[in-house]
Amino acid sequence: MSDITIENKLTEMFDNWSKESVHLDSALTQVRKNAIKSFSDLGIPKLKSEAYKYTPVQRLINKNFDFSVSNQAAGWTKDACKEEFYQDDKANHLVFINGEYVSDYSEIRSTDDLEIKTIDDESFDQNAEIKNLMGKTRSIEKDAFAALNLAFFNNGLFIKVNKNKDAIDTFVYHFVDSESGQTINFPRILIIGEQGSRANIYEKTFSKGSQNVLALSILEASVAANAEVRFTKLQQFASNEYTIDGIYANQDKDSRFYTNTYSISGAVIRNNIHINIGGENSEAHMNGLYQIAGKSHVDNNTSVDHMVPNCYSNELYKGIMDENSRGVFNGKIYVRPDAQKTNAFQSNNNIVLSDTAIVNTKPQLEIWADDVKCSHGCTTGQLDEEAIFYLRARGIDKKSAKALMLNAFANETLEEVKNEQVKEEIEGIILNKLHY
Amino acid sequence: MLKINNLHASIEGKDILKGINLEIKPGEVHAIMGPNGSGKSTLASVLAGREEYEVTAGSVDYIDKDLLELAPEERAREGIFLAFQYPVEIPGVSTTNFLKTAVNQVREARGLDALDAVSFLKEMKAKMKLVDIDQALLSRALNEGFSGGEKKRNEIFQMAMLEPKLSILDETDSGLDIDALRIVADGVNKLKSDSNATIVVTHYQRLLDYIVPDFVHVLYKGKIVKSGTKELALELEEKGYDWIKEELATA
Repeated sequence: MSDITIENKLTEMFDNWSKESVHLDSALTQVRKNAIKSFSDLGIPKLKSEAYKYTPVQRLINKNFDFSVSNQAAGWTKDACKEEFYQDDKANHLVFINGEYVSDYSEIRSTDDLEIKTIDDESFDQNAEIKNLMGKTRSIEKDAFAALNLAFFNNGLFIKVNKNKDAIDTFVYHFVDSESGQTINFPRILIIGEQGSRANIYEKTFSKGSQNVLALSILEASVAANAEVRFTKLQQFASNEYTIDGIYANQDKDSRFYTNTYSISGAVIRNNIHINIGGENSEAHMNGLYQIAGKSHVDNNTSVDHMVPNCYSNELYKGIMDENSRGVFNGKIYVRPDAQKTNAFQSNNNIVLSDTAIVNTKPQLEIWADDVKCSHGCTTGQLDEEAIFYLRARGIDKKSAKALMLNAFANETLEEVKNEQVKEEIEGIILNKLHY
Repeated sequence: MLKINNLHASIEGKDILKGINLEIKPGEVHAIMGPNGSGKSTLASVLAGREEYEVTAGSVDYIDKDLLELAPEERAREGIFLAFQYPVEIPGVSTTNFLKTAVNQVREARGLDALDAVSFLKEMKAKMKLVDIDQALLSRALNEGFSGGEKKRNEIFQMAMLEPKLSILDETDSGLDIDALRIVADGVNKLKSDSNATIVVTHYQRLLDYIVPDFVHVLYKGKIVKSGTKELALELEEKGYDWIKEELATA
């Protein structure tokens, strides 16, 4: 068995699946066939792969997961899901169960601002936008996990924010169940922000069960002229959960795209973010916090491609690492020869609280235009002892003094989270983790 | 209130304080003067509980307590306040937020109820007047980007908020122009009472024109070599520290 590669095994599984009569003729099956071919060609990144240098995905997957075993039925009921919703009657609440969008469990409050659909054979066939955009965001073709997701995802989520609409908040909840066995999920979301629209999307996960979970998630965003999409993700997983997450965005002119990523816990989290700024006067913002302990491993790999002149990108990632955790940050800024007057900034700051935590940080600037302003900075250190003494000398105990400082450090990454409930929740989680 | 007995302290194996004796009673203002490197700031740091310093001998009694047994925050709660020579800049933490945490932890330790947002703000406004400090400054990150004068004023403002029994002003005059010096000194004077005491650590006599000491002590090579009244400070201003050194050499 050991000489059969995971790629071969998955290809074989896919072939068997696609030969079932129900899948034979669909347009989506054809797309999936191409995807499994790409996956097979790309292969799961090996240890030698520069992009996965610190996160040995191949070994992790081989060791912990068996793709030939199907997921067991998930034990989340509609009511149990609903109980976890944010208290917001005016928002959309969209439910994924083990990686599949379940419209029946979801609550859609506005059909005026947004169009929300399940991505399946039927909608793929009928909806030109899904057909034209899904799996086609620039650079996604280089991602083996995105290809694998495209081959295997079931019931994706399509969100379109209608032209000039300032849409209500949309919450996306992932309910995961690994009680009766390992679970491998392929959640997939496609967002279109039509011209002049604005959207806020929030994503979080609820899990039960203690068997291993692998989530290979993909989100694609197509942000039209003068549109704004804000995307916030809370990654608070159990120690049996492995996540490889991809966000790919194409931006048209005068648009704004934000990602806010909070990685709090889990076995391994790998976040790939790739933003293509393809229209002038656009802005891309990437904020993130990884505040981890135990053996958690969080690897943020981001890149922004400045394809055209006069755009702005800003990236702020912060890490607080305790115990035996490891934080990895790789931020790439790519400025093409034509992209003059680009302003691109990046900063990654880390505080290490234990002797055994590890940080690997690497900025990567590739600048081919000559009239640009680009900067990057990374710092890694411990808490300032003098500052702690100063706070203690005012009567604040040591633990609170540290918490006060770390909280201030972390909160800077929350500035672009607009929903107060979400912001408060994340603030609470940050604070709670500080009072260890 | 405070009784320092034969205090010896060192840092990184280097002896700095070599037998300090000093007694301070409520209502008194003591000035500690001395040339650079004499151990003035070390004394202030040891009293506030800075952990880099190792006390190798001696004792410090503070209102029936062994001060040296207490953690820095416990000392603060018991009423010790150190105005830092170099107040630390703490990004992201607003002065208001920080002070609310501090005041309430101190109040709790003193058996008082925590102040709610409204009472805290009221208290803050009253104390702001005392040191002529601006509200806008207090909503900014603690000391970040503050001028020298603003930092020192903020120290005295914190002192006003925490209502200490024993305040230690470590080179509070350094980096201050004459106007800022006067404002800071005014604040200190307004906070003075029969029940609290102040230690003013300073290199120059200038500050003592504004905060008038009851006693002046000269610290030299880790010991108090001379004590007197405020006239001693004037003498030092006029003659410098050399005559004391000479006096000691001949003795």
